[in-house]
Order: sequence, then C-alpha cells, then structure tokens
Amino acid sequence: MSDVTLRADLGHWRGWLLDQAPGSRWQARLGRWYRAWLGFRRNGLAMTGFGVVLLLVGIAIFAPLIADREAATLQVLTQRLEPASWQHWFGTDELGRDIYARVVFGSRITLTIVALVSAIVVPVGLGIGLPAGYFGGMVDAVLMRITDIFLAFPRLVLALAFAAALGPGIENAVIAIALTTWPPYARLARAETLTRRRAEFIEAAELQGASHLRILLTQIVPLCLPSVIIRLTLDMAGIILTAAGLGFLGLGAQPPAPEWGAMVSSGRQVLLDQWWVATIPGMAIFITSVGFNLLGDGLRDVSDSRAG
Amino acid sequence: MSKRLSFATLAVALPLAFASPVAHAATPADTVVIAKQIDDILTLDPGEAYELSGIEIATNIYDRLLRYEAEDVTKLVGGVAESWTISPDGKVYNFKLRPNLKFQSGAPVTAEDVAFSLQRVVLMNKTPAFLFTQLGWTKDNVKDLVKATGPNALQVTITEDFAPSLVLNLMTSIVASVVEKKVAMANEVNGDLGNAWLKSHSAASGAYRLVAWKPNESVTLEANPTFRLGAPAMKRVVVRHVPEPASQRLLLEKGDIDIARDLSPDQLAPLAENKAIRIEQFPGANTWYAAMNTADEHLKNPKVREAMKYLVDYNGMVNSFLKGRFIVQESFLPLGFFSAIAYNPYKLDVAKAKALLAEAGYPNGFELKFDAPNTSPFTEIAQSMQQTMGQAGIKLNIVPSELKQVIGVYRARKHQLLLISWGPDYFDPHTNADTFAHNDDNSDTPKVRPLAWRNHWYIPDVTKDMLAAAKELDTKKRAAMYADLQRKVTDEGPFIIMFQNTAEVASRANVKGFKGGITEDLNFYRTIKK
Repeated sequence: MSDVTLRADLGHWRGWLLDQAPGSRWQARLGRWYRAWLGFRRNGLAMTGFGVVLLLVGIAIFAPLIADREAATLQVLTQRLEPASWQHWFGTDELGRDIYARVVFGSRITLTIVALVSAIVVPVGLGIGLPAGYFGGMVDAVLMRITDIFLAFPRLVLALAFAAALGPGIENAVIAIALTTWPPYARLARAETLTRRRAEFIEAAELQGASHLRILLTQIVPLCLPSVIIRLTLDMAGIILTAAGLGFLGLGAQPPAPEWGAMVSSGRQVLLDQWWVATIPGMAIFITSVGFNLLGDGLRDVSDSRAG
Repeated sequence: MSKRLSFATLAVALPLAFASPVAHAATPADTVVIAKQIDDILTLDPGEAYELSGIEIATNIYDRLLRYEAEDVTKLVGGVAESWTISPDGKVYNFKLRPNLKFQSGAPVTAEDVAFSLQRVVLMNKTPAFLFTQLGWTKDNVKDLVKATGPNALQVTITEDFAPSLVLNLMTSIVASVVEKKVAMANEVNGDLGNAWLKSHSAASGAYRLVAWKPNESVTLEANPTFRLGAPAMKRVVVRHVPEPASQRLLLEKGDIDIARDLSPDQLAPLAENKAIRIEQFPGANTWYAAMNTADEHLKNPKVREAMKYLVDYNGMVNSFLKGRFIVQESFLPLGFFSAIAYNPYKLDVAKAKALLAEAGYPNGFELKFDAPNTSPFTEIAQSMQQTMGQAGIKLNIVPSELKQVIGVYRARKHQLLLISWGPDYFDPHTNADTFAHNDDNSDTPKVRPLAWRNHWYIPDVTKDMLAAAKELDTKKRAAMYADLQRKVTDEGPFIIMFQNTAEVASRANVKGFKGGITEDLNFYRTIKK
C-alpha cells in the first residue's frame, strides 16, 4: 500500500521536474539539473567513474571502520614482505606494515590533497580570469601575461621546483600543485567572461546601477562555474598523479604517512620479488585517476549542448 | 655461387648474432662497469675529497706516499716512497722515493711533486686538511716542515708528539696522494693550487686516470699503462651512479653492469641461486649512527640522550631488512681496527627509556626534526627509529633529502637528530677517535670541525685523553686508552652508534678480483680481471 503511494509520489515528482512549463525559477532550475542527471545516467562509463569516486570518498570517510588505523603505521619487522593472506589482505611492505590499511588510509591523504588544491585553484583562477575578461585593456594584459608565464613551464617540473624550494610536506605539496594548476582556470574564466561581457542582461544590470563586483559575483560567476567544475573534475586525475609523483620523489607526505606515491617509491626496491608492495598502491592511483577522468568526461558530455 | 651463398648466410647470420641478448648486453672485455651510489662525490681533488665514494675513486687514481696494497692489506708498504727512516725523537721522517716513476703525463715523479702535494692540502685548508694540521703544520710553516731535500728525497718534520705508526698511517690516507705539481699549477685559478681544475681532472701516477666525472651520473677511468705495478687488466672502469638497489640488480642480471655494490638483502637472497652471479662479502669499517645536536634544548640533557639510545631496535633491524649488511657495533671503532672493542650496552628497552625521560622531565616526550638521506637503507632505518622512539613519546619528523644536503646540514650544525654514516680515513684508531672524541673549541670557527664539534659536544678533557692516546708509544697502554674512550663516547656522547657495515658485492661470475677493503682506501679496481 505504502509502496504504491511512494511510487505514485515519485512519478508525481518526476512529472513536476520534467514539466515543460515550470511554474517557478526554482522548479526550472531543478528540472534542468534533473535532465542533466538523466543524461548522465545513460552514460555507462561516466556512471562507473561516478561510482569509483563515490567509493573512494566512502573509503576515506569510513577508513577507521574498514581498516585498523594502528596497522597503517605499525612496523612488525618479523613480518616483512609477506604476500597476501587473511591477516594481511594485500600483504605487508618492507617494514612489515599492512598494505591494505595503508592503502585505505592513503585515500584520505589523496582526497585531502585533491580537495585543498581545488579549494585554492578555483578561487584563484576565477579571481584572475574574471577581472581580465571583464575589464579588458591593461588589466587583461597584465593578468594574462602573468598567467602565460606560469603556463610556460611544464607543470610537473614547476611543481617539483616549488615543492623542493618550500620543503617536503603535504601542505607544501598542495601549494606547489595549486601554483601550477590555476592558469588554465584563469584562461577559461576569462574566455567565458568575454563571451558574456556584452550580453544584454549584463548591460541591464549595469544600467540598474549594479557595481562591477556585484555583476561579477551574481551574473558572471554562476555562468562560469559549470565549465570550471567540469575542467576541475578532469584535472583531478592530473592532480592525483602530480601528488603521487611528488610523494614518489620524497617531496609529498612524509613518512610514515601512507601516501600512495611514497608507497610505490619504497616498493620499487623489491618490485622484482615482492611485486605487491608497489603494485597495490599503484593500482589505487590508477583506479582513482581513471574514475575522476570518466566522471569528468561524463559531466562534459552532459553539459555540452552540441552533444545533446 | 658458393661465394654468393656465403654472403647470404653472413647477411642473415650477422643480424642474428647481434640480436642475441648476450652479445648485446655484455660489457666489453676490457671494461668493467660498476654500479654504485656515488651522489656523495663533491670533488675528486685528493686534497679536498672527503666523501666515501670520492675517496674510493681517488685511491684508484692517485698513488700515495705509503700504502696498504691489495696483495696484503694488513702490511704497510711504500707507495711512491721506496724506504723511510725516522729520527730517534720521532719528529723527522726521511722518505726515499722509488726511481723511474711516471705521472700519466709522462713526467717523472719527483720529491718536489710529493712535497707540493702534501703542502697544498694544508695551504688549501679544505675538509680533510686536519689530517695534516694535527701534526703541527700550518699555512706558514708547512713549506719548511715538508720539503724536497733531493730529486728523490723528501723530508717531513712534525712539531706535535705523535706515535710514529700513526704518522705513517696518515701517509697512507687520501691527503698523501701525489699530484703532479706542474699540471696543477698550470691550471691554477686565483691561487687555488689547481683545486677547481682537479675537482674533475686528474694529474696522477696511480693505476688509473680520470677521463670524466659527471655528477650523479658516472665516473670513467682509464688504465695508466705506466703504473708502477704494471698496467691494470681492465682498460676502462666505469662507475655508474645507480641509486636504486633494484635497478642495480636488474642491470646485473641483464649483464649491463659487471659489479653491483649496493644490493640489499632483499635483492641478494634471490640472486644466490643465479649461477651467472657471484656474491662476496667484505668486512667494512663504516659506522652508521644518528647524531644528536646537544645545542638542542632536549638533547643537551644526557638523560634524554641515554633514553634515546634505548629506543633503537638494533637487533630487530640487523635481523630483518639489514640482514647480512650490518652488524651491531655500538662503539666508534669498527671491529678489525686496532683496539676496537665489541661494546654494545644498548638494546631496545622502552620501559627503561620512559623512566629516563621521566627523570629528565619529559614524561610525555617531545618532537624532533630527523634529517635522513633519502636512499635505502637510510630511509628504512629512519622509519624504524621513528616507530621505536614514538613508543616513548618522542615524535620524529623525518626530513628525507639527498645525502649531500644532509651532510651540508650536519656540517653547518643545523640539525636536531640526523642519520648518517662515517668511514675512517686511515687504518689507525686515531682516525675515528679524532672525530668522535675531539672538541676543545666549540666556537663557530674552530681550527678543525670533528663530529663532536658538529654536535656541540664540548669535551676538552676527553679531547686531552684522546690526544694522549695518539701519542702513547706503549701498544698495550694505547689499546686500553682507546677502549676507555670508546666506552666514554658510547655512554655519554651525542651519538647513537648503531652498526658496522659488511659490504656485500655481487658480480657477474666471469668478473673476478674486485677487492673490497675495510676502508674506502682499500677498494681496488686494478685487481679486477675478466
């Protein structure tokens, strides 16, 4: 009985969301999101990516429930380099630490880096790209030349240089990655702003006396955000790889933190005989990167009007 | 027709022959390729080099006044010198040089060259200069105290009291390497006595000459056909910088290298069954230790230092990831040295350490920066220490960096806790005693900068005892004095002395004769044969 009403309710909601003539702005906006989700859901690969990312977030949040926090750093020198067993699902590393626990807790480090880099990169990119596109002229020239300078260096090399100069550590790795990741966002934000700068609704806002800041924040930012977010999702794989690269070179998280890149780095000493020590964290990096890439691709397809 | 056929056969066979992996991979018959971690090399000038790999390369390039030779590493013999006499008061040493010795340039080796070589060490005053300045030599007097008295006669005078055996041993160390004066001076820049040029060139009379040194990449040596003991069998020696033990093993298995120097037990175990590869063990004399800077507010407390010595799993490490590569040796002299004692009072004892820390006023521990080289097995040792120290509340924040940087931090006294190794400079207990137990000037600009100084361990009294031991002529008494010093440093010093190394060298089965010595000075390339 209740089942039927629930389904009827859902059907009702669905109809409301897909209504061709929405009764309010709120309904229209939600409807648009719902349609996007329907489009996204049809894309199998994108859903896979979404699933992987959800899984990763879940693992990171519930890490203490699914693995032993102590085991991630506890060295048992008598149990070094053991293959997978019921006690150690992924075997043990060169200092006798449980690789399963390390990989699980390593997801927290990876996600922290990704989240922090995103939190820095988006505001910085928008902060530089929006004024450049909006004001044009000197402001544009100066801001874009600065962006060009940062774009002129290979990303990983620049990140390495920053990380080496700032000293090893997660915070510095985040800063180094962020410093090398923001320029494309500035470019993107500028391009989006340029296409909308002369739009009538902007001019209408100007005529009504809205300040530049108000126009930027309320009119232009919401229009830029979707493309920035898609770009960010696509970039996350790159951020994870860069973070792992820094960790591999000893410039990321410091021991005994179970950073995936650092785990691969220590495992390469025994790669020939105890392949799992380097391979398992390597797989973790691989799967996560692919997950974010697929998710980003899916999001792009959904938002791309040409694809629809 | 038959001719055409043989051409055809050749055309098919040739690429096949080259394609076979063995022909492809093997190193040339007259060349030996050694894989080793050599990023510690800062210079190859024998008057300046003081890093383990640099000393090893230099000992194969430069002949020395006296030597311990590969044929009998326990017997002191003449290198460039043929014979020597010592004045009754032990102050004046007269060396007679071998006749007809030649530098790689073809010029004869003269007493003038030898005198110049010894003088420039003191005049340049680089890191190893203290080996000579302790004899009483200074920039002002060295030209009078070290002089050629004839084309083949060298007179050396010391002003301090030192046991003659110690002085002679000093003449086998890297600073007694003989450099060709004319070549060095021809390449002098701003009065540096050729130092800048000799960093990456050689002007020597030893078994090999330096062809090229590419930092962090390779050192290439070429045989010196006029070497006094005959031209070495291997025309070329290439020492490749391969920091990864796993890469060294792969290269060795493929035959891309002939000798791998830094394999860890994890790599050696599976190699033992490989018939194409031979593993040899050579006792080493390097001391691996952690240095505690007593300028630090926690580490200046002797109780804290003692507690930390109880927080290292010496046996656990030696029985697992260091197996076969190290033995526990907690005194500063490596076993095999005159008067070395097997004094190992410390083992992992968390309860005792906690009690000591509580007495010292740190029941909850404290945090320390822990500088450690970023290569194996330093990284593993550092992490093992991090865990065991953590059990008593001492939180170590490991800062892994390149060996060179770690040494830089250490020499500038900017560390708190630092993991490093030490290799003796010559075959006499004074070499280690003089650095682990020497600091009577704790200012920032002392004459010498021994390890005790680097850790702000101000020990004028111990220094006096150490210098007395160096001068003691009675061998038994001297041994007892060094035994006391070792116990003193292990008990009270700012060093957590942990291990003595055993060099395990894996080579291709057809490569024979590499001699790994107890010190870097005794690692000979010239005996290698294929």
